[in-house]
Amino acid sequence: MVTAELRKLLALPTAWAGLAIGTLLAPLIVLINARYTHAALVDGTYGDVADLGLMDLGIGLIGPMVLGVVSISSEYTPTGEHSPGITQLHATLTAMPSRLRLLTAKLLALVLVVLAQAVVVATAVLTLNEILHGDFTPPLEPARIASALLYWVLLAVFSFAIALITRNGIVPLTVLIINSTFVSVSYLLTKVTDLAYYLPDIVGARMFIRGGAFAQPISPVAAGLTMTAWIALLLAIGAYLFHRRDA
Amino acid sequence: MITIDRLSKTKGKSRILDDVSFEARPGRVTGFLGPNGAGKTSTLRVLLGLDRPDAGTALVCGTRYRDLPRPLTRIGALLDGSGAHRARSARAHLRWVAASNGIPATRADEVLETVGLTADARKRAGRYSLGMSRRLGLAAALLGNPEVLVLDEPINGLDPSGIRWMRSFLRDSAAEGRTVLLSSHLMGELAETVDDVVVIDKGRIVTSGSLAEVTDGHRTLEDAFFALTAESGASW
Repeated sequence: MVTAELRKLLALPTAWAGLAIGTLLAPLIVLINARYTHAALVDGTYGDVADLGLMDLGIGLIGPMVLGVVSISSEYTPTGEHSPGITQLHATLTAMPSRLRLLTAKLLALVLVVLAQAVVVATAVLTLNEILHGDFTPPLEPARIASALLYWVLLAVFSFAIALITRNGIVPLTVLIINSTFVSVSYLLTKVTDLAYYLPDIVGARMFIRGGAFAQPISPVAAGLTMTAWIALLLAIGAYLFHRRDA
Repeated sequence: MITIDRLSKTKGKSRILDDVSFEARPGRVTGFLGPNGAGKTSTLRVLLGLDRPDAGTALVCGTRYRDLPRPLTRIGALLDGSGAHRARSARAHLRWVAASNGIPATRADEVLETVGLTADARKRAGRYSLGMSRRLGLAAALLGNPEVLVLDEPINGLDPSGIRWMRSFLRDSAAEGRTVLLSSHLMGELAETVDDVVVIDKGRIVTSGSLAEVTDGHRTLEDAFFALTAESGASW
């Protein structure tokens, strides 16, 4: 079943768009910003170098978001103009009728793809930073890198869970992308209440970012557990609805 | 063997299935007939585990669809449309369906040839005509060489030669010992194909039996159908 879900995911043009953009964006930004970053590092205006390299792993998250959403939303896309009410989900559920096993297979396929993507991005970004700013890069901390990889995977699962509840791709993807790029509603909320630091997209980054951008002290482990709890809650709601709803 | 036993289902305020019971037996083509909206597709969707009934059971070879391991090797189903994501090629669609049930990937090309789609195997499913989509749906149903076939309005969208092909395919499948259940609202097209008939209207079974039993006293299956559904107050 996992093989089938991998085949399904990797045969979708939208999934490849998510893979390409998510993989290339962070290394490209590192290259484009190289001169500016180096100058700032040399003249001491860069600030805390503890997150140098790792900070760049917060870029390109559109990749796991797209992959997480598309894994579910592709099931709900009408298969053609001749049969507007019919979706791929009908074929999926007649092939794999146990809904919870199907969801598990989908999640495993998604985690494998996003983890591979995150490993490639992390390797590229950290290597580039070492080449470009080797005198300033902090020593590699495997635990922090692993936390960054986990953040990518958790964000994909978070997007997956939202799409599972909404049964739609456009709405969750629009909200997720706007929130992570143009206007971060979660970040604005932190200006109103400290509780907003525990929103899933804000708290997750605290697993591997240590810099002073955050007012609220949250340990990496607490951040990881908080994000996991959010995802567990959304997945449980999504799985319950998926199990109960007519296809 | 398909056994539908006292299925009931309500959607919103309307009772779309009301105590529906019938059987489809091996070696026979069973026509599940009724006007549009009578409950044919709803019954098949419950049988295939897509929808939940409020009461009753629907069994394939004595087992609920959801409990069948590798279901495509026991039962093949054709619903409206191909079931393929429109950005995927026919071959890519069939290959993931095959992988999901442990069926060798080579079967994808075999069934594409069976339904006459080999030349269009790399075309995206979204660019298929209605008739080609139906053929692709049928190809997926045949992947596991199943002993039971469930086909919802199988001749919809087919041209005359496609209808002729489908008729002989259904007869051959039954002759090989398969259980064939097909739904349709087109009586004339089916009279020469079915052995048994189940008529549903407004969510209730109006009659069921062999073709001879159901048409007894009527000139054609179509006459029998209209007489039976008129008694239950169907409007067209």
